[in-house]
Amino acid sequence: MALILEVLHPTGARTWHRLGEQPLLVGRSLTNDLVLDDPFVDARHARITCDEAGTPLIEDLGSVNGLVGKDGRFRGRMFLGAGAEIRVGRTILRFRDTDEPVPPALVDDFPVPAVPSETRAASIKRLRRLARVRRWSTTTGGRLTIAAAAMAAVAVYTWLGSMDRASASEALYKAVVFALTVAVWSGIWAVASRVSIHRFQFIGHVATASAVALGGLLWMVVAEWLSFFFPDASLPELLSFAVGLCLLVALVAGHLALASAMPRRRRWRAGGIVAGTALVIAALATVAEEETFSDVPTFSGVVKPISPNWVPTETVDEFGAVMAHLKDQVDEMAKQ
Amino acid sequence: MFLRRVSLLTALLVWASPLVAQRSITTSDVFSRYADRVVKIQVVETSSAAKATIGSGFFVTPTGEVVTNYHVISALIHDPGRYRAELVDVTGAVRPITVLGVDVVHDVAIVMTEMRPRAHFTLGRASVAQGNRLYSLGHPEDLGLSIVEGTYNGHLPHTRHARIHFTGSINPGMSGGPTITEDGRVIGINVATAGNQLSFLVPVERASALLDRVLARGGEPPARTLEDIGRQLRDHQEAYLSGMFAGETKMVELGPYRVITEPAPFFRCWADALRAHELPYESVQHRCSTDDQLFIAGDQSAGVVKLEHEMLSTRTMNASQFFSLYTYVFAGDNTPGGQQEHVTSWRCGTRNVRNASVPMRAVLCLRRYRKLGELYDGVLKVALLGRGDTGLVSTLTLSGVTFENVDRLARRYLEKISWR
Repeated sequence: MALILEVLHPTGARTWHRLGEQPLLVGRSLTNDLVLDDPFVDARHARITCDEAGTPLIEDLGSVNGLVGKDGRFRGRMFLGAGAEIRVGRTILRFRDTDEPVPPALVDDFPVPAVPSETRAASIKRLRRLARVRRWSTTTGGRLTIAAAAMAAVAVYTWLGSMDRASASEALYKAVVFALTVAVWSGIWAVASRVSIHRFQFIGHVATASAVALGGLLWMVVAEWLSFFFPDASLPELLSFAVGLCLLVALVAGHLALASAMPRRRRWRAGGIVAGTALVIAALATVAEEETFSDVPTFSGVVKPISPNWVPTETVDEFGAVMAHLKDQVDEMAKQ
Repeated sequence: MFLRRVSLLTALLVWASPLVAQRSITTSDVFSRYADRVVKIQVVETSSAAKATIGSGFFVTPTGEVVTNYHVISALIHDPGRYRAELVDVTGAVRPITVLGVDVVHDVAIVMTEMRPRAHFTLGRASVAQGNRLYSLGHPEDLGLSIVEGTYNGHLPHTRHARIHFTGSINPGMSGGPTITEDGRVIGINVATAGNQLSFLVPVERASALLDRVLARGGEPPARTLEDIGRQLRDHQEAYLSGMFAGETKMVELGPYRVITEPAPFFRCWADALRAHELPYESVQHRCSTDDQLFIAGDQSAGVVKLEHEMLSTRTMNASQFFSLYTYVFAGDNTPGGQQEHVTSWRCGTRNVRNASVPMRAVLCLRRYRKLGELYDGVLKVALLGRGDTGLVSTLTLSGVTFENVDRLARRYLEKISWR
C-alpha cells in the first residue's frame, strides 16, 4: 500500500505529495523536504519515515507545539495508515491510500462556445495578465501603489468638489487625513496580525484598506451620477447599499487573510457576518428614522455638469403626478 | 377801560379753560380710569399647574366677554387636555375662561368669564390722526398691569391684513391688551413688536366684527374651534392665492434667467449680492415675502408665501467644482420648522423637469397639518440646468395652504421660469 500525503495549508490551499522510501523532513525552514508557511510550525518540526518493517510513521523533532493526532498532542512518534490525520501547527497532514476510489467525473454541461483558437489564445493571455496583476498586487511595490492610488483619488475627488479658492491645499489636506486614517486603521490590524501570526503585515493592511476605500470612492461617483439621472429610482440606492456591504465583506476578509491563518471560506464567512450585522443595524436605524418625526426634509439635491439634452426630463404635468403621490403619503401619515 | 380789560381776561380764561383741562389729563389719570377693565390671561399646564403662556385682555361687554389675541390662548385651543386658561382681574381674583370665538387671520379671540366686570370698554370705529398720543395697557413679562405711552403712526403699508403702527414699547405679556386714547376709546389690540418702540396693533374693527359674530350666535362657544380655524385659513388663502402667478406676472432677470418676483403689491422684495475675494464664486440673492404670517401655534405659521432666488456664477471654478457648490446650495434646507403634534414629517419627490424652454432639477417637499383639516406646507426648489458656470436655485415656500393651491402655484411657478 502506498500512501499519499495531503497537506491542508492554513490558507485553505491543498497540496499532495507521494511518500516514498526516503524520509521526508517537515518544517518552516526552506531546508525541509516539505516547507510549511505556518507561523506555528518549527523550522524543523517533524520527520515522516518508515520503520524496518516498512510501516510509515511520523516523529516529532522536539518542536515547540508538537504533533496533534486523534488522541491529542504528542511529542514522540506515531505509525501512519490510510485515513490518519496529524496537525502540525495550524497545518493538517492527511494520509490517504493511493488506491482510494474516487467518484466518477461529473458531466460538464456548461455551454462552451466555439472559440477560435486566436481568441482562445487571447483569453489565455488575458488570464495570465490578470494573474500577473494579482501577483503584483501582493508585492510591496504593488501594495504601495494601491495606497498611493487611493490617496490620489481622494485628493482628486476633493479638488473636484472644492468650493474654496485654495482647492489644492484642501485636496492635499484631505489626502493626508485619509492617509493617516488608513495608517491608524491598518496599524490596529497589524497589531492583531502580530498577535495572531507573529507578523505585522502593515503594508498589506494599508493596501487592503486603501483598495476598499478606492472602490467605495469610485462607487460614490457612480452613485451620484445615477442619482442625478434617475432621481426617483430606488435601484441606485439599493445598489449603493449592496456595494457598501460587499466592500465591507471584502475589507474584513482581506484583513483576515493577512492577520490570521483562517481558510479562505471562513474569512469570507466572517466578512459576511460583519456585513450582515451592519445590515441589521442599518435596517433598524432606517425603520427608527422613518418612524421618528423630523422637520428637516431629505431629498436628492445632486446636480451635475452635463448637457441637459442627455438628461431624461419630465413635463410639468408629469411632475404634478409626483405632487399627488406625495399628498397621498402625507395624508396617510396624518391619519396615523 | 378796566371793565374792558376784565372782560378780555375773562374771555381768554373761558377760551383757554378746555385746553387747560385737557392738558391736565395725565397718564396716571388714564391708568386709574381704565385699569379695572384690563385683565391678565394665563394658560396653565394642568399637570404641573404652572403658567405656560401669559397675555392680556380687556372687558368689552357688561356680561363678561373679553377680547384678547388668538396667540395668547392658542395652546388651549390646540391641546385642551393639557392646558386650561384663566383670567386674573385687577383685584387678583382668578376665574376660568371659555373661548367663544377666534379670528385666526387677524389674531383676535373672544373669551368669556362668569364674572360681571365693574366697567368695560365699548368697541366701535375709532379714528385718530398720525402723531396722536395713545396708551397701551397690559401685563409685560407678568410684572403687573402697566401702562405705556406712545403715538399712532397709521396703518402698515405692505400688509394684506391691516395692522396699526404704534410707536411705543409693547412687550411680551401685553398681547391682547388694549391701546386706547386718553378718553378711553379703543384703537387697537396689542399684537406684536419689532423692538425699539416699533409695535403693532390689530385695528379695533376686527375685534368688533368678531364680537358681533359671537353675540349673534348667542354667546355660545363654537362646536369645533380647530375646524373653524382650518376653515378660516382655507377661506383666507382662496382670496389671494387662487390668482397668484396667473397671467401677466412681474419677472426679474437674474443672469441668463427670468424668474417671478413681487407677485402682489403686499409682497416685499429684497436683494443682496455676495462677492468676496476669498470666494471663487459670486452669489446674487433675491427674496420676496409677505409680512402676513398667520400665527397658528408654537413655531407654526400659515399663509406664508415666500420666493427666494439665488443665482451663482463663477469665472475660476471648473464645471465639477461649480456643480459641487450648486449641489450644496440646492440641497441646503430652508424649510420652515414644526412640531410633531402639529405637522407630519416632510415627504419629498425629485424629478428632472423641463418646461417650455428650461431644463431643471425640481424637488417638492410636502407635509400636512395634523389638526387643521386639509392644510399643507409645500416647498418647491428648483435648480436650473444648462450652464456650466452659472446656476440658479429658486425656492417657493407655501405654509398652511390647501393641496390645490400647492399644486396650482407650483405648476405656475415652474412654467414661468424662462431664459432671458
